Amino acid sequence: MILAIAWRRLIRRAATSPGRLTTLTAVVVVLGLAFGLAGVLTVRAGVGLVRDVTDRSGPLSLQAQDIYQSLSDADATAASAFLANGVEPAQLRKRYLDDIARASSALTVALRGAEGRSAAALGVLVRQIPVYTGLVESARTYNRQGVPLGGAYLREASALMRQIILPAAQQLFEAETARLAGAQRAVARWPWTVTLLGLLLLGALLLTQWYVTRLTNRRLNRGLVLATLAALIASGWLAVASGGAAGHVGAGRDGGSEQVALLAEARITALQARADEGLTLIARGDGKAFEQDFTVMMERLAGKDGKGGLLQRAHQEAPDGAARAAVQDAQRHAADWLAIHRKVRDLDDGSQHAEAVRLATDGAASAASAAGRLDAALAEGIAVGGRRFDREAGSAGDALGGADVAVALLALAVAAAAAYGLNQRIAEYR
Amino acid sequence: MKKPVVVVLALLVLSGCGARPATPAVDSSAAAAVPRPLNVQDPAQAPSPPATPPPACDPRASLRPPASLPAPGRMPAGTAMARIAERGRLIVGIDQNAYLTSYRDPVTGQVVGFEIDLAREIARALLGNPDAIQWRAITTADRIPVLQRREVDMVIRTMTATCERMQQVAFSTEYLTSGQRLLVNRGSGIKDFPDLAGRKVCATRGSTSIVTIMNQPSKPVPVATDSTLDCLVMLQQGQVDAVSTIDVLLLGLAAQDPGTEVVGARISDEPSGVAMPLDTPELVRFVNGVLERIRADGTWTAIYSRWFAAYGPVPAAPPAKYRD
Repeated sequence: MILAIAWRRLIRRAATSPGRLTTLTAVVVVLGLAFGLAGVLTVRAGVGLVRDVTDRSGPLSLQAQDIYQSLSDADATAASAFLANGVEPAQLRKRYLDDIARASSALTVALRGAEGRSAAALGVLVRQIPVYTGLVESARTYNRQGVPLGGAYLREASALMRQIILPAAQQLFEAETARLAGAQRAVARWPWTVTLLGLLLLGALLLTQWYVTRLTNRRLNRGLVLATLAALIASGWLAVASGGAAGHVGAGRDGGSEQVALLAEARITALQARADEGLTLIARGDGKAFEQDFTVMMERLAGKDGKGGLLQRAHQEAPDGAARAAVQDAQRHAADWLAIHRKVRDLDDGSQHAEAVRLATDGAASAASAAGRLDAALAEGIAVGGRRFDREAGSAGDALGGADVAVALLALAVAAAAAYGLNQRIAEYR
Repeated sequence: MKKPVVVVLALLVLSGCGARPATPAVDSSAAAAVPRPLNVQDPAQAPSPPATPPPACDPRASLRPPASLPAPGRMPAGTAMARIAERGRLIVGIDQNAYLTSYRDPVTGQVVGFEIDLAREIARALLGNPDAIQWRAITTADRIPVLQRREVDMVIRTMTATCERMQQVAFSTEYLTSGQRLLVNRGSGIKDFPDLAGRKVCATRGSTSIVTIMNQPSKPVPVATDSTLDCLVMLQQGQVDAVSTIDVLLLGLAAQDPGTEVVGARISDEPSGVAMPLDTPELVRFVNGVLERIRADGTWTAIYSRWFAAYGPVPAAPPAKYRD
């Protein structure tokens, strides 16, 4: 009963001029505050995405690569030590241990940030790497006793590495790369909700101004003008900050992370080819499948003629001179390696196994050395791309910096100024 | 004017919001990860039996050698030996994982062993140079295919002569006599095949041993690998209960791990011969001539003693049997 009376009174009052003004005030204040809230949320989401890109997915995909490279090198080094005959050379032993240490420390860092598919892949790595190192130590012990059982342990270790551990490392890399690309796309997306609210707010402000002008015959309401100005500034600030962040993230993607992903894939492919080369020699005539795999990997890396494949794509898409130079180095080393590899195969197929092993593993002119230079060139290219990516991601973070506070304060100013200006007019009716 | 104050507070709280890290739970279901050698079949699949059962035969009987062997490097024109001499090296399919019998010495990187010395005697007789050999490591299952594809001149890889295989390849006379037994962990309590009912027994894929395991009345579960050495790895890792193959190979395994022992009776009779393509009988006769000579002049006993004397008595060389 009382409610119904109150409702009726409200309707009656709303139909009067001061009533309409009150309604308009409420609409403008609510729209202003909604715009402010949406703006703050948009900026905070953008900051979160940029942080995700810079602090998590970016570094994680680099760590995943480090893990892959270290483990793959550990496996190739263990095989080289096995091929080297007699007591393994001290520098190979050190290299193997360093590889495992590097992979383990990259793992501990990666574990802090990973979730979902990455966490599952990391779980495999954490559980299997100790098993792998245990097998390698068994192989080493038997090898030093001069019995062939060591070779069987090494093959088992290598199978574990190639069939379970390295695929998990690759999965981690792919998951983080996909996550990174997703975050980059999300930052680049235009904030439609806040744009719509901004337009509605400006429309409401203009409509109110028109109504007040008609009602009171006064040109401009000072409060409304201030509110409109604040709304315009807030909208502009938001557009510049979001657009800037999207632009920087886009530049980081095109010139940085995409190049990094391409080179990382090239690096993984080259490492697989290197493992194939060693396994072919260990198999001693029974390694046709490994040699075929080597050919497939090298074609993926550099094409049939050394002028195609992943490296050529990386060359075409290189964003600057430094990146292009690193890729050109890689192409040269890949060609060198392939030439040496052919000689290794000729020796091995011509029953000169010992000479083939020497050419593959020993000294500066060896296949292993050329493969090492290729890996170093690819690592350099990845570092160049990574630095560019970090620079752009930093700029994207700067672009968004402070925008949330500014938009919040400006939105409050819109609401306050509009309420103040309209309250003066409403007061004239009391 | 109370409402705006609340909104201001809400906005400020929102702008200060950050993600809170979750505390990860411990995965209590984590179990030990057991690695496996490459290409393990558990349980092993039975090899397909031949479409027609092979005719009855004496697998020990081979082709009679000529009265005298041609001098090294002077092989009769048009023969398989002449083709090998022209190439300048003998291509032999071998095992590189059978300790003492045929293996890669990790210290020198060279393949050595009883069968390697045997191959060198054949190369010496054929080419006048025991080192003129290209070694081609092959798996048990690949022994017949590499001969059929002509990738090797001969296979010397503890290959048991059987009537079934004699349909596909030709064997020399017997150069090593052995029989299938068991290798188990010391203290396992396993004495012979009847103790292995329902338990895992390992042998190489494509070997006669895997078929013999399948045919045991105690019904052990056969597990197949590429190499007998992989079986020892699995025995050490507790993935199989026993390894079963010819005793000369088991001896090589036991010699690498004092924690294992060879037990049980010989349950098969397995003559090993040098395998060669079917269509070069002159090569089979030549190899039999070489075997005949090394049996007679004590070379066989010297080679056998060199590798196995430390592990048991040295038997007499297996006598040759000829079918014509």
